[in-house]
Amino acid sequence: MSWEFLAGQFAAQFALWWLIVPGILLGIVVGILPGFSPQNTLIMLLPLTLALPVEQAFTFMVSLYCANHLAGGVPAILVRIPGSGGAAATTLDGYPMTQKGQGQQALVLSFVASVAGGLITALATLALLPWLSQIGLYLRSVEMVVVMLFGLTLIAVIAARDTLKALVAGFFGLLIGVIGTDHVYSAPRATFGFLELYDGVPLVAALIGLFAVSEALVMIEEKMIVAVEGRERAMRTNWADTLEGLRIALRMWWHIVWTAFVGLFIGVIPGAGASIAAFVAYQQSRLWSKHPERYGTGIPEGVIAPEAANNGVTSGTLVPMMALGVPGGTTAAVMMIVLQYHGMVMGPRLFINDPGLAYGVFVAMVVAYVFMIFTILPLARYMARIVLIETTYLAPLIILVTIVAAFSERQYVFDMGLALVFGVIGYIAHKTNYHVTAMLIGIILGPLFEQYMVRSLRLSEGNLMVLFSSTLGNVLWGLLALSLVLPSLRKWRRHESRR
Amino acid sequence: MAHKTPLGADLVIPLLALAFAAYFFWSIAGLAWEAKANGVLIGTVLVGLVAIQLARMGRELARGAGDLRLDPLWLPRDALVKRVGMVLLTVAFIAALDWLGLTLSLFLAMALALRLMGVRRPATILWVSCAVAGAAYLLFVAILDSAFPHGPIEQLLARLFA
Repeated sequence: MSWEFLAGQFAAQFALWWLIVPGILLGIVVGILPGFSPQNTLIMLLPLTLALPVEQAFTFMVSLYCANHLAGGVPAILVRIPGSGGAAATTLDGYPMTQKGQGQQALVLSFVASVAGGLITALATLALLPWLSQIGLYLRSVEMVVVMLFGLTLIAVIAARDTLKALVAGFFGLLIGVIGTDHVYSAPRATFGFLELYDGVPLVAALIGLFAVSEALVMIEEKMIVAVEGRERAMRTNWADTLEGLRIALRMWWHIVWTAFVGLFIGVIPGAGASIAAFVAYQQSRLWSKHPERYGTGIPEGVIAPEAANNGVTSGTLVPMMALGVPGGTTAAVMMIVLQYHGMVMGPRLFINDPGLAYGVFVAMVVAYVFMIFTILPLARYMARIVLIETTYLAPLIILVTIVAAFSERQYVFDMGLALVFGVIGYIAHKTNYHVTAMLIGIILGPLFEQYMVRSLRLSEGNLMVLFSSTLGNVLWGLLALSLVLPSLRKWRRHESRR
Repeated sequence: MAHKTPLGADLVIPLLALAFAAYFFWSIAGLAWEAKANGVLIGTVLVGLVAIQLARMGRELARGAGDLRLDPLWLPRDALVKRVGMVLLTVAFIAALDWLGLTLSLFLAMALALRLMGVRRPATILWVSCAVAGAAYLLFVAILDSAFPHGPIEQLLARLFA
């Protein structure tokens, strides 16, 4: 790969601005609306992407995909409703910032972290592609079981107000995630007699219920979602706030860089995805912080870490698809279908047979992120004003519109009812501090966890000790234990030093 | 009298989890080990965690530091009517969807919800409900052609634009 080749790729991608800008705008809309996933949008747009030449189709899909990851943080920050699972961790500090009247700053931090994180990791992927593609090969089912448990326990640690309650919520979610038929015999389990649950619990209904509906039921208590001083601040928003957000983000450039790399490496693992990456980055950010106790109260680092990581994932998930032919996530799988339709064969030979496409994907990503910052940054000032709408309008709007959106994933009215059920469970969990995010991550991980767990057990003929049979797996177990113990240890040390 | 923590509300999620785990175990009783191994593992850990949580709450109750009130779920009382009303209204909206179609049922649900939340001006209720239902029609029916049940409005508009 020469510099001339790369320069040519960049020039070719910039010339496709007429596809990149609509892709970005559509991705932003889809990302902001919970219930609209990039994969479903890409599926609906298949007639378009199949008709375009393959390079153009891929540029459009990549722009939409990256913008979607960026925009998921907008409702997470403004109304505590993540646009996608990857933005769930952003609610932890993003929403408290909004409540303090710093919604505009939080949005700018999120946009800059997302764009910079996505940009840096796309460039890094271009350089490291031959080596990165090997990571996925080292993680087998045993290691994946530990990675999943790692993701879940991290959330319990993050929900530091009560780790036990968060673990109860997380494992409750994990068990809900197992609802449906099993992978080997297709025997239905815990479906309550509903055929609609044979394929498992629909994630969009769970996401909408646990976050949007439950949050709207809680916000009914107040006239507005921001406190009086926050309201005054939100009313006075100006360009200076955007610049201030930019200044804070630039000051924390190193934070953006390393958390974006956390996202990149987790993204390379097939199936791990943006939600795990965002939580791992948030937890690591808190673990190494000088003021971990301030996380969750609305601090910039708490917005930067998950947003940089969930955009770092965008490059990562495409690596195993391009290099091994194994899609790193659902959206990557849809992209792969389009590429296969055009006769492209994924795998190591792609880099020899069609380097223009193989490397062009990541160049397209870089270009899309450059366009994105200029498209979305000026909008932060106006988006932040949504918090000035009274809850008398906002709550019914959120409940009814998101319940309607719950239909969009599978087109079942059943899913709308299910979202309401999750909304009530989420409300109870919310009011009693059983972390809803832990529950959601459990539901997301449930099917994957089962897949890897059963595979491991089948290989060992049912021997549970297989989970401790690999060196890498044991290192991951150690890290998991460390993540659980370290915060308590630090707390104890602080307590001792005060005495 | 010292202030007691209302622990009753804290019991709801563990009890739900316990009931679900019991149902899960019952539903997998006759299946092959591959179909139940994962559920048994997760369910056992969940039951263990719930047991620890219940023991922790039992200790609080025994110490007299808490009682079984459900206050966090009900309070503040003035929001309770709105909250329960919104849930019932949403149930009615989903149930009416098959007969009235998306646009009309969403319009009615939105209008009733705004009234329930305390919006008094009929003009405001009308235009907000019209805007929401109109946007939903445009996005889901006209553009995305989703499989939402069609009611009188959808049928009328389909005839007009056919």
